[in-house]
Amino acid sequence: MGKILIVRLARLIATLFAVSLLTFLLVEQLPGDPVIALLGPEGLYDWDTVERIREELKLNDPTLVRYGRWVGDVLQGDLGKSYITDQPVADAIRDRVPVTLELALLATVIAAVCAVPIGAFSAYREGGRLDRLLSGFTTAALSIPGFVAAIFFIWLFTLKFNWFPSTGWNRITDKGLWANLKTAILPASALALAPLAVNARLIRADMIGTLKEDYVLSARAKGLKSRYILMRHALRPSALTAVTVFGLQLGGLIGGTVVIETIFALPGLGTRLISAIYQRDVLMIQGITLFVATVYVVVNTAVDLLYLALDPRIRRQ
Amino acid sequence: MPKRAPFRPRRAPILSGTDKDPTTSTASDSKRNGLSAAISDMPIVVKLALFWLLFIVTAAIYARIDRVTGQALPLQDPFYQPFLFGEASPIEGPSAEHILGTDVLSRDNFSRLLHGAWVSLIVALTVVAFGIVFGGLIGAFVGYVRGRAEAVTMLGLDVVLAFPPLVLLLALVSIYKVRNLTLIALVFGVLGIPTYVRIARASTLAIASREFVQAAEAIGTKRAAILFREIIPNILPALFAYALINAGFVIVIEGTLSYLGLSVQIPEPTWGNMINEGRRDIRMTILPILWPGLFLTLTVVSLNLLGDWAQQRIAVRSSAL
Repeated sequence: MGKILIVRLARLIATLFAVSLLTFLLVEQLPGDPVIALLGPEGLYDWDTVERIREELKLNDPTLVRYGRWVGDVLQGDLGKSYITDQPVADAIRDRVPVTLELALLATVIAAVCAVPIGAFSAYREGGRLDRLLSGFTTAALSIPGFVAAIFFIWLFTLKFNWFPSTGWNRITDKGLWANLKTAILPASALALAPLAVNARLIRADMIGTLKEDYVLSARAKGLKSRYILMRHALRPSALTAVTVFGLQLGGLIGGTVVIETIFALPGLGTRLISAIYQRDVLMIQGITLFVATVYVVVNTAVDLLYLALDPRIRRQ
Repeated sequence: MPKRAPFRPRRAPILSGTDKDPTTSTASDSKRNGLSAAISDMPIVVKLALFWLLFIVTAAIYARIDRVTGQALPLQDPFYQPFLFGEASPIEGPSAEHILGTDVLSRDNFSRLLHGAWVSLIVALTVVAFGIVFGGLIGAFVGYVRGRAEAVTMLGLDVVLAFPPLVLLLALVSIYKVRNLTLIALVFGVLGIPTYVRIARASTLAIASREFVQAAEAIGTKRAAILFREIIPNILPALFAYALINAGFVIVIEGTLSYLGLSVQIPEPTWGNMINEGRRDIRMTILPILWPGLFLTLTVVSLNLLGDWAQQRIAVRSSAL
């Protein structure tokens, strides 16, 4: 196990290096010039200034030299500054992460809270009408694209019922928890649909196995109520797998919020990334992509390691 | 195993007229009478899904026929031009002339949907074709030959797969100023290959340790022949089943990218950019959003249902292999 751990960590670091190089090369290909983007149209007439700024920002060095310098800075914890707003990239990320993280957390909670009863009841009524109904629901939830669901929610809950605002974000620190939740609940629900369906299916499959155990039979023989058996005897052993999966989905969700944030105009990492792409804000794109990819890779490695720890059969392969 | 109607009479062997013992039915057997038997075996929901997909494919081709013949066909808006305004009849409900209504610019929703279907279809087909051909070949090769080639390939895959899919696509697609269908299909196609390589390699690892491969090696068959005759035919079903699920995923991602305005550009209609344009006018009419949303969802549901069903059948078959 120790050896596997070291190999995996080495691969993780190698992957991150390659990811950063790929991002750097990709961003390099973006059309447009960051200096022109910075100066606006006047830059087109004033080549001396453009040249001077290019020199200042050391944009004239060869790609690999700049990549090396960037990696060196990143290793010292410096992600550089935005060419456009002069804001340090690390600050921008620190600013935006809470929104994205809250969305992902809330989506995970919604997915978990809805998935447990759906999974439990369809397992209890395996093959029955309720089971088929719920499995139809999970298939639909899994298939509806997040952005379609989001716009449908806006139409229904904002335009028809006017329960929630359609766009914008209230920070907890400014307006309190309730105002914050009002702006967060729609995007989080749209984000939660897919993991909800996945979790409900997982719990169902897991509990169908658990319900066949002898101790469930003996609980039934004792005359305990079905609901009590379901919640106390069957759900508990299944909960461990479920909780693990919930936790791990969080990493994937952080990458998945980009569109949802754009639709609801939320000040999260995703909208910052999109605006950076439109503005050719090279260091910002690199910083955010590296951050998101790092979270993603670390979580995926954690999943692998966790599976290894939980299921010894995989280790031998 | 899934509940496949246990006491349905086995019609297939009778239809095919072979007097083979049904207990020894093999892969090649099911291939001969495969299609009709497979379809009659389907649960009703999966049949509906298949029907919907056939409808979408037909609709997409139908939408483009007038590009070849130069003439509008029935049900297509005769005034329809993807990039011009329609006849002056904005925001109509469904009528005989515009069966799904019109949008704010008087464009016929149905015609736009059909053209959007073509975009989704082409992108999905490109990804599946690239994935199965290139991904399948690379995966089968590195899975069978192993060694250094495998290690390098897998590391490369790890890098590409380390990006959340949408983020990499965003960065890659925004490089290009002109984004037409060919470019988008190619970018999607190339980025789709890695997962197919993974699946092909994993299936190959399982197949390569089977007795019939060892037997072929023992009698001195060339490795290339084993790869093409023993291994690739046996990993194909898994790849095709994955392709169905993957096509649904690709259609969603393309729609998302379209929604962000980063896929095929307006005025060319796609389901995603229809939703994006309709979003602006959501207070006036929901129809231009509702239809593409519905088409997207139904198509993805259908692909998922069909994919799940195919995967279950393959699980049955490969356990008998």
